[in-house]
Amino acid sequence: MVAVTMMKRLILAALCASAMLQVSASQAQQATEVHVTYSKGQFQPGEVSAPADKPITIRVKNLDAKAMEFESKSLRVEKVVAANSEGVINVRALKPGRYEFYDDFNEKARGALTVQ
Amino acid sequence: MRVAEKSGRCHAIVLCAAACLWFSGCGGARAEDASSWHDIETKYIFGFTTGSGIGLEGEKEFTVDTIGRFGKRDGHYAATESKYEFEFTPTQFIQIEFGALGSTHNIGGVTDLDDKRQVAATGAFAELRYLALERTANNPLAVTLAVEPTVRLTDETTGGRVRNYEFETTVNADIELMKNQLFAGFNLLYEPEVTWTPMGDVQREAKFGGSAALSLRVASNVTVGGEVWYLRHYDAANLTAFTGDAVMLGPTLFIRFTPKMFMTAAWCAQVWGREIGNPVSLNLAEFQRHRARLKFAWEF
Repeated sequence: MVAVTMMKRLILAALCASAMLQVSASQAQQATEVHVTYSKGQFQPGEVSAPADKPITIRVKNLDAKAMEFESKSLRVEKVVAANSEGVINVRALKPGRYEFYDDFNEKARGALTVQ
Repeated sequence: MRVAEKSGRCHAIVLCAAACLWFSGCGGARAEDASSWHDIETKYIFGFTTGSGIGLEGEKEFTVDTIGRFGKRDGHYAATESKYEFEFTPTQFIQIEFGALGSTHNIGGVTDLDDKRQVAATGAFAELRYLALERTANNPLAVTLAVEPTVRLTDETTGGRVRNYEFETTVNADIELMKNQLFAGFNLLYEPEVTWTPMGDVQREAKFGGSAALSLRVASNVTVGGEVWYLRHYDAANLTAFTGDAVMLGPTLFIRFTPKMFMTAAWCAQVWGREIGNPVSLNLAEFQRHRARLKFAWEF
């Protein structure tokens, strides 16, 4: 009896995990990718765009020889990207608007994501 | 006594007026620079009032947050409680905080309170904050819901040994009135608690109230403002046994020293209050004449 109950719980847990994986997989499929390069202390391009109401994946490639920190109060994300490497930042689906970002280690380096 | 109460009120009003004049002047002078400022996190810019901010996903923070309460009807009364707090933001909608509490009490000659001079490790707390409504280009309002269970082994007011369980529930809202420059904050508070004394008595009580605050960014790393609180006290968790209320008013200050370090300071004076069944001005039984807050935070 105990074994049957345990089995039911395991099956339920597996189904839940499977459903969550499917949801996250479908979210990942729907995400719009945005590519930004960080070089010589500047974002390139400085302005990027993405569609509204869809999750966004921002890929930040740091070509400089020192680490940078991609940060945005309006996107509510921060991530340290090591020298000569790439950081991936997943952002929720956004409403139309302009979302600024910057390098927290070098606040002169700024850019913006325009969602429309 | 009334002279002292009036003096406290006058101090509060004069300081608020001075703060308003100062930040309105500075704000005008620096208005042209505001477009180049980064967005600001609103959680700590309103003093005792908490803004809607929940931090950034991936951000961790250590803070020391001390609140001091000063002044009862007679004698001398000074008590502080410090939170040693770790907070992090696991998603773009949730923030989690937890930590330990420490307190100090310096009480002498206060009616109904034992004289006491002590420093104590007090208890622990945790807080969960959920961003229910986020600010967008078309919506200047942001709302966060927060719950904060707390366990104390030292009574906040008397410093005596107790077992106290508190469950603070708040709604933290703020509105961006001028892009990146002027913000209004609002809190709604319901704080039931139950206390077991060493004698075996059980006391149930609750605080209910709200606040309104204004905060102006006078430089990219500095905000100044003022806030007003209205608080009601009940001798029951379900808000049925009203015992008194109070209005507190005071200035606020927020300074970001570096991208990873900031402080917030606030001070409030009781400008009006009443105790049910006691025809005196101010409510110094359940609240204090002054309270002050000083918080330092390090992000990493």
